[in-house]
Amino acid sequence: MTLNRRDFMKLSGAAAGAALAAPELAVASSDKPDLSRYDDDWGMLNDEYQCTGCKTCQYVCKKRMGFDNSGDIEYYDNPRDLNARNYTVVKLYKGEGEYSYVKKNCMHCNDPACVSACPVRALVKRDDGPVVYDPSKCIGCRYCMIACPFDVPKFEYESATPEIRKCDLCVDIVTDESRTEKDRRTLCSATCPRDAIITGRRKDLIKEAWRRINEKPDIYQHHVYGEYEVGGTAVMYISHVEFDKIGFQPFEATAIPRLPESIQHGIFKYWVTPLALFGMLAIVRGSQMKCDPYEDEECIEV
Amino acid sequence: MADEKFNLHKPHLPKGVELAEYEQVMETFPREPQRAKLWTPWFTTGVAIIAVGFIILLVRFIFGLGAVTNLSDGFPWGLWITFDVVIGIALASGGFTTAALVYIFNQGQYSPLIRPAITTALLGYAMAGFGVFVDVGRWWQLYNPLLPDNWHGGSALFEVSICVMAYLTVLIIEYIPTLTDKWIQEGKPAAAARAKNIRNWLDKVMILFIITGIVISTLHQSSLGSIMLLAPYKLHPLWFTPWLPVFFLLSAIAVGWHVVIVESILSARTFNREIEMPLLSGLARRTIMFLGLYVMMKFFDLVFYDEFPLLFKSWYGLLWFAEVAVFGIIPAALLATPWIRRNPKYLLRVSLLVILGLILSRANVFLFAFKPVDGWFYFPSLGEVIVSGFMVSVILVGYKLLANYFPVLSREGKLSAAS
Repeated sequence: MTLNRRDFMKLSGAAAGAALAAPELAVASSDKPDLSRYDDDWGMLNDEYQCTGCKTCQYVCKKRMGFDNSGDIEYYDNPRDLNARNYTVVKLYKGEGEYSYVKKNCMHCNDPACVSACPVRALVKRDDGPVVYDPSKCIGCRYCMIACPFDVPKFEYESATPEIRKCDLCVDIVTDESRTEKDRRTLCSATCPRDAIITGRRKDLIKEAWRRINEKPDIYQHHVYGEYEVGGTAVMYISHVEFDKIGFQPFEATAIPRLPESIQHGIFKYWVTPLALFGMLAIVRGSQMKCDPYEDEECIEV
Repeated sequence: MADEKFNLHKPHLPKGVELAEYEQVMETFPREPQRAKLWTPWFTTGVAIIAVGFIILLVRFIFGLGAVTNLSDGFPWGLWITFDVVIGIALASGGFTTAALVYIFNQGQYSPLIRPAITTALLGYAMAGFGVFVDVGRWWQLYNPLLPDNWHGGSALFEVSICVMAYLTVLIIEYIPTLTDKWIQEGKPAAAARAKNIRNWLDKVMILFIITGIVISTLHQSSLGSIMLLAPYKLHPLWFTPWLPVFFLLSAIAVGWHVVIVESILSARTFNREIEMPLLSGLARRTIMFLGLYVMMKFFDLVFYDEFPLLFKSWYGLLWFAEVAVFGIIPAALLATPWIRRNPKYLLRVSLLVILGLILSRANVFLFAFKPVDGWFYFPSLGEVIVSGFMVSVILVGYKLLANYFPVLSREGKLSAAS
């Protein structure tokens, strides 16, 4: 789907905003919004040029979660996509004269659609970056799966007591204050033999990404995917192949929850809408009860 | 249109009449249980579907959603959410629109339709709630949206869940007079007196619940449309628009009375009653403007966002035209023709067409025009279809039971067995 000005207007709710007059709607959407408040968030940089497709990351991730490695035999031994037993998957893109491995996992968006969707705060964005899940709150409605633009959250359809499953950025390791800054690394990045996955603070990752791009400007795409897409993500990608070819869509810089949340908050601000509606109905009833719809001309003809 | 306003039943309220007195007015035209033959072929079929559906639900709860449904990681919502919940709630909107017509806009001549409409709404919302219970994976935690710690006001689904629970409560309260009337009519003197006490007390505060019910309905009918605003890259641009909540509210208001019409004509057949034609064609006439407004806004939406060319680029354009034609242009034109809306046979068909159009308009947003990132495919399994049939059957069987044993339909209009 190509994006143009029309979609941008829709995402920022240009029309609905006028009707609701909510101040939040005045979000200035530019191609490069100021995301400095996410600078110190933990995240990852996936360098698809460096990736050799060894799938060590996939293996250690499954091991950490205690999942059996034999479960998915769909395509021999590699799952087709992320699923409830695979928080990360290395996929292969093959085009004409070019190929690339793509390591998929949760993007840990700065302003995640899944978190906005969740009616019970089972999914939350931590202040230090990771988007984490609490099964004791989850009702299993799967709205997060509908909302996620990257199709990341997965569901245990085969279980009678299912949970939502997705990468948690090894939150126990990454946010462990007793570790040194350098030691706070996700398992996949710690075991990657090629520097294709690195863990770090968001601003450092962006710096490192551009350093790599500028070092080999003829090889890399001049674009850090996730720097601004959907309002920025904590997991970002650089690649030698165009991003839309390896499954990364050209999303707007507007965070997805802006529009629906501004409508929700606009309607319920100080309970104005429900109370006004209640009052209006009471007034109409009062005036209608006083007159006789059959004889009085001034009565509202419904 | 004056011809549709004749006194089949006690008409509008006279000047200065308050609700309590109004209910006494109603008691001079009381409702009564129908006591028709219960086990007709249709009723038996409904009970059979309920039995089969019950077994499938048992499998679903023991082995998980995957054992019964074709849901996948690409299509986490399928027939159950779309039909049982989203469409079900829209079709049950007749409860609040009829209540607004009679109690807010003082069109008392429609009061014979109030109890049937509330009955339909109650059953519809109960089954929508049960539909959610069946579809969510972690149903034993379904009370979680009620705990303040978990409240997430930014989520449209949170608002929908709270509003649906609240409105179901309001509907139960609005239903109490039907229950007390049974005891007033048939109970022993002591029980009848107690029921009358409850009834009199309730009549004094009922208007508050009625208005609350209308407010809550307006809010959640529109919020159901906000749900898909979180999927801008998955919902086709012909349907994705900030105006989705307004479309959902408008179409729910437009379809509600058509459900009341269908229900009224069918129950006239079932219980051998006179069809309340002047009332029904009056309701039908009132929906024309909502249908027309819906169509106009749908076109305006495309013009405003400069999306007209999209209509001719893929088969989604056809789907869009089908929606606007079936839920809008065709029924609006037919209903604007007096001899069509005054003929029960034709009116029934037009109303069914509007209901079909509503189903299409909701399915477009939640199923047909929803495209996940990868090439996923979804088609409902037999189990899903049967469970949806289960929901419809419970509503129909439940309606017959309630109308049969409780004072839902008015005493007037009963045809003698001979005629």
